[in-house]
Formats: sequence, C-alpha cells, structure tokens
Amino acid sequence: MIESMMRPEIALGDFLPIFISSAFVLVFGSLYVGVYTAVKVKMLKNWVMLFAYLFWFLTCYMLYIMGSLMHVGEFTVKVLVIAMIGYLMLPHAIYYIQHQVHEENEQ
Amino acid sequence: MANNYLKSESKQLATWYFTFAAIIFGAQLVFGLVAAIQFVMPSFLYQILDFSIARILHINALVVWMVFAMFGSVYWLLPDETEIETVGIKIGKLLFWVFAAAIVVVVLVFLFIQVGPADQTTIWFITEGREYIEAPRWADIGIVVVALGFVANLFLTGIKGKQTGIVTVLMADMIAFSGLYLAGMFFTDNISVDQYWWWWVIHLWVEATWEVFVGAIAAYGLIKMLGAHRQVVEMWLWIEVSMLFGSGILGMGHHYFWIGTPEYWWEIGALFSALEPLPLVAMFVHVLYDWGKTQGAQEAHHEKVSVIKNRPAFTWFVLNAFGNFLGAGVWGFFHTLPQINLYTHGTQFTAAHGHLAFFGAYATILIGMFYLAVQGKNGIKVMKSTKLSIWSTSMITGGVMGMTVALTIAGYVQVIVERAQMGATWSGYFDSQSGAWFTQAMDWRLLMGVITFLGFVLLATDLLRTGKSAIHER
Amino acid sequence: MANKSVWSDNRFWQRTAAWVTGFASILLIWLTFDTSAQISMGNDADLKNGVTKRVPGPTVINYKISYEMSTKRGHEVPYIGGNDGKGGSLFKEKEKFFGRDDYSEKEAADLLHLGKLGSQAKNCMDCHTLMGNGAYYAPDLTKAWLDPAWGPEGSMQAVTGKSTKEEAMAEFLQHPNLYPTHARMMPNLGITAQEAKGLVAFLKHLSSIDTNGFPRNFGKMQGALNGK
Repeated sequence: MIESMMRPEIALGDFLPIFISSAFVLVFGSLYVGVYTAVKVKMLKNWVMLFAYLFWFLTCYMLYIMGSLMHVGEFTVKVLVIAMIGYLMLPHAIYYIQHQVHEENEQ
Repeated sequence: MANNYLKSESKQLATWYFTFAAIIFGAQLVFGLVAAIQFVMPSFLYQILDFSIARILHINALVVWMVFAMFGSVYWLLPDETEIETVGIKIGKLLFWVFAAAIVVVVLVFLFIQVGPADQTTIWFITEGREYIEAPRWADIGIVVVALGFVANLFLTGIKGKQTGIVTVLMADMIAFSGLYLAGMFFTDNISVDQYWWWWVIHLWVEATWEVFVGAIAAYGLIKMLGAHRQVVEMWLWIEVSMLFGSGILGMGHHYFWIGTPEYWWEIGALFSALEPLPLVAMFVHVLYDWGKTQGAQEAHHEKVSVIKNRPAFTWFVLNAFGNFLGAGVWGFFHTLPQINLYTHGTQFTAAHGHLAFFGAYATILIGMFYLAVQGKNGIKVMKSTKLSIWSTSMITGGVMGMTVALTIAGYVQVIVERAQMGATWSGYFDSQSGAWFTQAMDWRLLMGVITFLGFVLLATDLLRTGKSAIHER
Repeated sequence: MANKSVWSDNRFWQRTAAWVTGFASILLIWLTFDTSAQISMGNDADLKNGVTKRVPGPTVINYKISYEMSTKRGHEVPYIGGNDGKGGSLFKEKEKFFGRDDYSEKEAADLLHLGKLGSQAKNCMDCHTLMGNGAYYAPDLTKAWLDPAWGPEGSMQAVTGKSTKEEAMAEFLQHPNLYPTHARMMPNLGITAQEAKGLVAFLKHLSSIDTNGFPRNFGKMQGALNGK
C-alpha cells in the first residue's frame, strides 16, 4: 500500500482537475447537508429536496474524478465508497437526533 | 469611557481584552501589507524592516490578538453562564497588564533588534526563530504564568458558579490550550524532533483546541442572539467536540508527511485529515438549524420580526460558520492528501489556506464577540447593522477572499513550475516566482490586502461609534 | 421527558466526547513514542557500522550525500557515502567539508549545534522553508546542500569566487547583500564566519534526513517539460 501511494506520479495536466474536483467534493457535500437541513426546518420548499440528493450524487462523482486522477489503491476505493454511503445517511441521523431533543424539550 | 451598563467586573475586563485585541489586529494588517508590498517591490524597506521581520510581526500579531480576544470572550461569557462574578478578577486584571506589557516589549525587540548571534541569549531574549512562536523564552514563561492565571480564574468560577455544558467544554479546552504551549518551549539540535513538537503547539491549537473554543463561543452566541434552545445547543456542542477532537488530534499526521517522520503518517494523516471537514459542515448545519427553528417558532406565533438580537454579531457568526468550512475545510482538503501535498507543501497554497482559514474560523467569530460586547456595554436590546458595519464586513470578507484566490493562483503556478517540473531547486523556485501569473497574483493580493485594511478601518470606526447610534432598540 | 432516548441525552454525548478525545490522545501519544525512537539522531558508530537512521548523526558532514530514487521506497531518499545498489546507503565515500573529512563526533555536534541555533537566531524560517515549513519568500532549504546552483556546474562558486560548495555557501551567508541572485535579495544578518560554517553544517546535515521523498524530483528536471 505504501508503494502504491506515491506511484504512479500525478501527470502535469491532472493537477488542476484534482484541485477543482477536491474543492467541489466539499462544496457539493455541504450543499447536500445544507439543503437537506434547510428543507427540514422549512426554510425551503419540499420539492427542493430533490436537489439535495442531486448534490450528494455530484459529491460522489467529484470524489470519483479526484480518486482516479490520484490513482488511489483498491483498498482506498472501498473506503471511499463506504464513506459516501455513510455521508448519505449522515444528515438524516443528525436531523433525527436534533429533532428528538427539540421535541422532548418543547413538551 | 462610561461603563454604565456593565455591572460585572469580568465583562469590563473583557472589554479591555477586546480593545487591545482590536489594536493588535490593526498592527497585524499593517505588517501584512508591508510583507505584501515586498513581494511586489522587493527593495521596499530592505535591510530596515525585512520580509522576515514583517512576517514575524504579521503572524505573531495574528496569534496574539486572537488569544487576547479569546481570553476576553471567556471573561465576557463567564458571568452570563455561571451567574456569578468571576473569581479572582483582581488578579485577572493585573495579569492583563502584565500580558499587554510583555507583548509590547516583544514587539519592540522584534522591530528594532530583529536578530541576534547564534547562541542561547538570542533564544532567551530576542527570538526563538520558530514560526508562529518566535517570542523569546522569557516571554514564553510569562505567557505560561498569565495563561495559568486565566485558567485558574475560569476553573474557580466554573466550580463555584453554575457549571453549564459550555463552561465545562471551555474549562477542558482552555487547560489543553495552555498546556500545549509547553511543547514549543525547548531547544534541540535535531530539526525533525523540533518540528515534531512544534506542530503539537501549532496544529493542536488551530485544528483542535481553537476549533473547540469556536464551537463553545458559537453555542453561547446562538443562545444569546437567537434564543436558541440550550439543551439542543449543548448537545450539539458535545457532538462537535467529539468530531473535532476525533478527527483533529490524529489529523496532525498531515504535518508529519515530510519532516523525517515515518511513512505510516501518510495513511494516518490522510484518513483523519480527510475527516476534519466533517465537524465544520456540522457546525454550519447547526447554525442553519437553530436559525430556522427559532425563526419558525416566532412566525408560528404570527410575529414577522426577526429573532436576531444583534445583527452585526450574527452576520459575523454566520460568516464564521461558512468561512470555517470554506477556509479550513475546502482550502485545507485541497492539499491534505499526501499524493498532492508532496507538490503543494510549502508553496503559496499553504498561504492561501492560512489566510482564509484563520479569517474564516477565528477572526470572524471574534469580531462577532466584539459586537456582542459593544451591545452589552451600551445596554442595547436589539442591535441593528449600520451602513459602516455592512461596508466593513463586505470589504474585509471580500478582501480576504480576494487575497486567498490570488494566493491560490500563485500556489498553482508554484506547484506546476517549481515542484512538478523543476524539482524545487533554487532556480526552480525563482523561475516560478518570476512567471507572469505569479507576479500578477501578487499584485492582486496586495490590492485585496489594501481593501481588507480599509475594511478594518471602517470596522474600528463602527465599533467605536455604533454604541451611541440611535437606530438600535434600547 | 418520558420517552427520552439515548441519542438525545446530553450525558451520552458528553461521555462520547470524553472517550473519543481520550482514545485519540492515547493513540497519538503511543505513536509519538514510536516516532520519537525513529527520528532520534544517530551517532558516528551508526555511520561507521552502516546503520541507516532517518536522522543521521552530525558526523554525516564527513560523507558524500546524494538524493536519488529508491525503487524499494518508491521515491527519492538520501544516500550517505554512496549508493549500495540495493536501495540503501553505502556509508563509504567521504567528502571534504572545509578541507577535512575527519570531524570528530564532538566537533561535528558543536558545528551542528551552532548552525541550528543560528538558523533560529537569524529567523531563517520567516523567509525560507525548512522541510517545507516556514515562509514562502525564499527557496526551500531542505536539500539546499544538494542544489545544483552551488555545485561545480552551478554559478554560485564563480559568483562568490570560491572553489568549493561549502565555502561558496559560507561566503554568501556572510555577505548576501553583495551577491544578488534575484530582485528579492537576502539581507545581511550579521552572520560571522564561524556561524556561517555552522549553518552550512546544519544545511548539509538537513539534506541527509530522510524526508519520505520531499521534495520530489529534486534538481532532476531542469528545463524538462511535462513532468517527465
């Protein structure tokens, strides 16, 4: 795994797409949870939720671009797939917990 | 100055800390401008106030004003949280003057003596020459004494008064914050060991204990400004602490890729620093959630008024949530994986990340605290934005964003020319620095720096004036 | 408060925070012990017995140092006293440093000590980077000792009127304002001849530290295009 980490070398033309895709991993990633939460607390209309999941999909796609340009190993690919599934569930869990606390304290 | 509305001595002390912090903030920007001018015009102040000295003052003033504002924030919120006057406030006030005097002496020595001979007297009395913590050894010891006094104030008050979740987090966090400074106070001939421990101070401050501090302050601010539910806010704070420390402590690995430390830090650093943006996303979502919920509850009662009790402070808190994510998260994630970091480490990329992260994660929320103090000091019930506050916020934010983008472009040129093609030699370095894209990026950086500085002047004016303005509800 | 679940219990999250923080801290401390052992400085006996250390002893200044690709490691590593052809250092080839290659452990350690102190007393890190950390106003010094600019094919020996790399570097460090290499000039920091010698020893030692292949492709690609 260590050997595969630095080889093969990143091609010169790949630096820019890597920087851009890695930035967009986080931008789309935060848009996903942001839009999800905003819809849930009724700052946005319900149909906007579609975009939340679209942003999640774009996050995955950007991560895929970044990972393949950086030549990540097989093990890392598995980790990334699991991470993205986890990320899909994350805002649901967070909202559930927060909502629960809110309800309990409103009573 | 008439402190009519401040009954608490702790809050008065907080305003001293905030005032001194704001002055040092200004100094930070002035020396930043000097350094930015030198990138464009290298002969500027050559052998009078060289880049190295301007930069020491730029980054040390940054650290010092933030530490002052952080201490001030704690003194400000303690009476609110614990419902008692801070214990040992007289000593707290004395230590403020000791701290401020020590800082002035250190700055004067940096400015006028600058460097010393290669022996221990220089380390003790002039400079330690270690980035961010250049302050000489005598000042280190002084800082430890002052920090211990501050932590004692906090602990005694927390134990005697009501110990809320926010206070508990601050107690644990501040002791770690002060204790870590000790890791940066020794000399060794082995530069790998030197940098290993140096990062304990730098990283465990800015990517762990300071971030937790921000979480605690944000929690306090949300309760104060929005009337957010304490139970929700504090539970969320604990989750943030878990996420921040869980990713941040071992995220240190991303500084151990190339300093002589073993290769296993590649995997550790990559994994944990990839997780570091998560708590930042969480903090951002949390602000959104509380805002939506409280405003929603208000509107359910058919009241269309905003729930925000301090508009300028809230603006800065929202900028914090967003800026923390963008500066520390996006600009950090960019170059945190070892495959990429091999090429970006030690280029203007790091400078771009540093500018946006320190601003987004820390400057924003501390400026927010300044506004909370102005509100409290002047007995204002609902504080509105003024024209000045809107202009200053936009100019500072726009200026820092502009500098960050310019530095990112400069960093990209460096990565491609110096690192990927020329292999980081002397000539490779200067080839990258002479490219048109690089030099133009530096021109833009200077221009954006000037805008940031003008924004600061407006901010200082607003902070001094807005308390007397008639537009606020009293 | 009847149907209070674990997930919305503050105490639960407080304990989680404590456990997570404690666990991460303990792991960091454990790794620190391991790393500290691996980055402790070697000594003269290690060099003589061919023991590879990540941070070699100060007498490494008696040896020739190079920085070459190791197929075993997948990146460049410093080779001390030649390359043994199997991805390791040979520890044989010596190199004169200010005319000598027989510095005793004490002499070499004193020079390194002086140089490290000097690097801090003159605020090197506030313009340069060392192992990539510092400021970005001047070149990285991690492998400065191996920089072609100072070698026989580079220009700096001729510019400073010296015939060896170490003398050229020491001369430059004492009077940087006399030898402009770029519009951005290093200021005169009052470095004495002895301090300069110490600083050069510090730089030579620095170049022998195993930095996991940072910087990449050092000095190999002058004028090359497309990173190949």
